[in-house]
Amino acid sequence: MKLDLSNPAWQQTLPPGRAVAADAPAAACAFSKDGSIVAFALGDGRVRLLPADINAAETPAAEPLHGGAVLALVGDPAGDGFVSGGDDGRLLRIAADGTASEIANQKGKWFEHVAAHRATGAIAASAGKSAFVVRGGEVKEFGPHESTVAGLDFSKDGSRIACAHYGGVTVWSIGQVTLPPRKFAWRGSHVALKWSTDGKFIATGTQENDIHVWRMAQATDMRMQGYPAKVKSLSWTADARFLYTSAQPVFTAWSFAGKGPEGKPPLQFGEEGAGLISVVAAHPAAEFVAGGYDSGELQLGDIRTKRSVVLKMADGSAITGLAWSPDGYKLAIGNDTGTLLVLDLRR
Amino acid sequence: MAQAQVPVTVLTGYLGAGKTTLLNRILSEQHGKKYAVIVNEFGELGVDNDLVVNADEEVFEMNNGCICCTVRGDLIRIIEGLMKRKDKFDGILVETTGLADPGPVAQTFFTDDEVKARTRLDAIVTVVDAKHFLGQLEQGDEAQEQVAFADVILLNKTDLVSEDELKKVEGKIKSINRYARIFRTQKSQIELAAILDKGAFDLQRILEFEPDFLHHGHDHDHEEEVKSLSLSADRPVDPDKFQKWMGALLQLRGPDIFRSKGILAIDGAPRRYVYQGVHMMMDSDWGTPWKEGEKRSSKLVFIGRNLDGENLQRGFNDCLK
Repeated sequence: MKLDLSNPAWQQTLPPGRAVAADAPAAACAFSKDGSIVAFALGDGRVRLLPADINAAETPAAEPLHGGAVLALVGDPAGDGFVSGGDDGRLLRIAADGTASEIANQKGKWFEHVAAHRATGAIAASAGKSAFVVRGGEVKEFGPHESTVAGLDFSKDGSRIACAHYGGVTVWSIGQVTLPPRKFAWRGSHVALKWSTDGKFIATGTQENDIHVWRMAQATDMRMQGYPAKVKSLSWTADARFLYTSAQPVFTAWSFAGKGPEGKPPLQFGEEGAGLISVVAAHPAAEFVAGGYDSGELQLGDIRTKRSVVLKMADGSAITGLAWSPDGYKLAIGNDTGTLLVLDLRR
Repeated sequence: MAQAQVPVTVLTGYLGAGKTTLLNRILSEQHGKKYAVIVNEFGELGVDNDLVVNADEEVFEMNNGCICCTVRGDLIRIIEGLMKRKDKFDGILVETTGLADPGPVAQTFFTDDEVKARTRLDAIVTVVDAKHFLGQLEQGDEAQEQVAFADVILLNKTDLVSEDELKKVEGKIKSINRYARIFRTQKSQIELAAILDKGAFDLQRILEFEPDFLHHGHDHDHEEEVKSLSLSADRPVDPDKFQKWMGALLQLRGPDIFRSKGILAIDGAPRRYVYQGVHMMMDSDWGTPWKEGEKRSSKLVFIGRNLDGENLQRGFNDCLK
C-alpha cells in the first residue's frame, strides 16, 4: 500500500481524478464489489454511475430511479452493481449497466439506511421502525422497534444485525432459526451505528452529542462525551483498533486496543478545518483515514505517523459522502451541491 | 452553509376540528408554492403527493436532566432527510394528532442544531371547532393547551353556531391566549397567505398589538387556569440580568409556562432583541433596528398556568437599567 500523504503537491492541486457536477446534493457514495464502478446517491432520485478508472470514458447520466431523494447506497454484495434506498419507500438493486429492479416497497416510509455483508451477500435495510434482511430472493422483516431505525449494521460474520433506535440498540440473529432479539439499552435517541470490524463492539452516536459503545461479550457499555455536535459518522479501522468519529475539527480516534478508551482522551491529529468533520472513512486495509468537512475541506491522514494533508476542493459546500475503493487506492467524494469526485491516490 | 431557513408551520387542533380539510386545500390549491407536509395518517388525506411525509409522533426525552424536555426525533430525521432533496421547499407544515401536546413539536425547533440551522418555527396554527370547543375543554387539557400554544387560531365551523355562541367561544379563547390572532372560518376556508410564512414567531405584530382589555380574572381567578399576560418596560433592559432571570424562571416554572415571547430594548443596542421560549427552552436573536426617534420600549408575553403577573413584573423590573 503506497499512499504518500506528505506529497506537498496535493495541497496545491488535487491528485489525478474525475470531477462531475450533478446539480443535486449527494447523500452517499459507494464502490461496486469489484471496485470497477463508483456510484453516487443524489437528491433528485438519480444514482449516478461512473467508471472507477479515471481515464475511462464517462458514462452518461441516467434517468431518476427513485421518486424523491436517494437516501442510502451500498455496493451490491451479491452482484456487480449497487443497492439503493429512497424516500419513495423503495429499495432497489441496480445492475452495473444502470438498470434497476425493486427488492422491497414500503409505501409511505423511507428506506433510509442500507448495509451490505460482502462474504454472505446479504443486505440489510431499514424503513420506518423495521429492518429488512435480503438474501437471495428472500426478504425478511425484523421489528418493529420502538421507534424508527436510525442506523444499522451487520456483525463481522454476517449472522446478526444491529439496529439503533430510541432507548438503545437491538441485535437480531438473522439465521434460519428465529432467536429472541438482544437489547442493549441506553436512554435517549441513537442516530448512527457501526459494528466494529472484529465484531466485539457496537458504537452509536446519540442525539446528545455523545457516542456510546457496548462491549458484546460482557454487555458492558461506555459513553464518550465532549462533542460539539451530533456524531453522525463513525468508522472502525480495518484492524478494529480505532474508532474514528465525525463532529470534531481534527481526526478523532478512540483506541480499542488493550483496555479500551474509557477514561482516556481520544487520539487527535491533523490540521483543523474551518468547520467540523461531517464524514469520516477509515481506509479498508492500511492506517489511513479520509475526513470530509461540513465546511468543504477534505483531509487525508495517517494515524501511525500523525501526518496529514488538506486537499484543496473547488467549492466549500459540506462533504456528505466518502468511500474508499476495495483496493484502497481510490477515494470517492460527494458534497451538498452535487460535486462528485473520484480521486486516484496512487503515486 | 448560507442556506435560507425554511419556515415551519405547526398545525394543531382537536380531533375533527378541520385540520385535514385545511391540509387538503394546501396540497391541492394552486398557490405557486411548494410545501412539504408532515402528517400522522397518510390515509386521511385525499391527495396522493410526494410532498406528503408520514410521521409517527416519536417523542423522546432528552438525556439532559430537564424533565419537560421532550422532542420529536422523527421530525429531526425527516427534516434532515428533506434537505437531501434537490427541490427545496417554500415551507414545511407539521400536523400533530388531535390529542397531541404541541410542546414536543415546538421544542424540537429549539433543541436540534441542524434543524435550527435549516428551518425556523414560523407559527403554531390551531384549528378550533366552534361548536365543540367548550365541550372539549371539559374533556381534558389538550384543547386548552392547543389554544395556549397558538400564534394563529382558525375558529372553524362558524356556520354551525349562532353569533352569541361564537362570541362566547371567542371570549374563552381570549381568556386562555389573548395574543393569538383569530380568524373565523367555515370549512377551513382561509387565504393561505394569512397563515403561512407570516413570521408570527418574529413577534413584532403580536407584541405591538394590545389586545382588548377583558374584564375577567379579577372576579373569579382560578389559579389553575391557563391565561396569558404581558409585561412592559420603558427603560432599557440589561441583557445579562435578563438572561439570568429568564433562565432561572424557566428552569423553575418551565412546565407551567407554555409560551414566552418578547421584544426587548437592550441598553445601547441599535436593534430589537427578539426572545422566544417554549416551556424551558429559549432562543433569542437580534431583530429589526430601532428607527430614529422611535420610542424604545420592551414587552414580554407569557402564556401558562398559575401565572403571577405582579411577581413576574417585579422580576422583570429588576432586569432594567
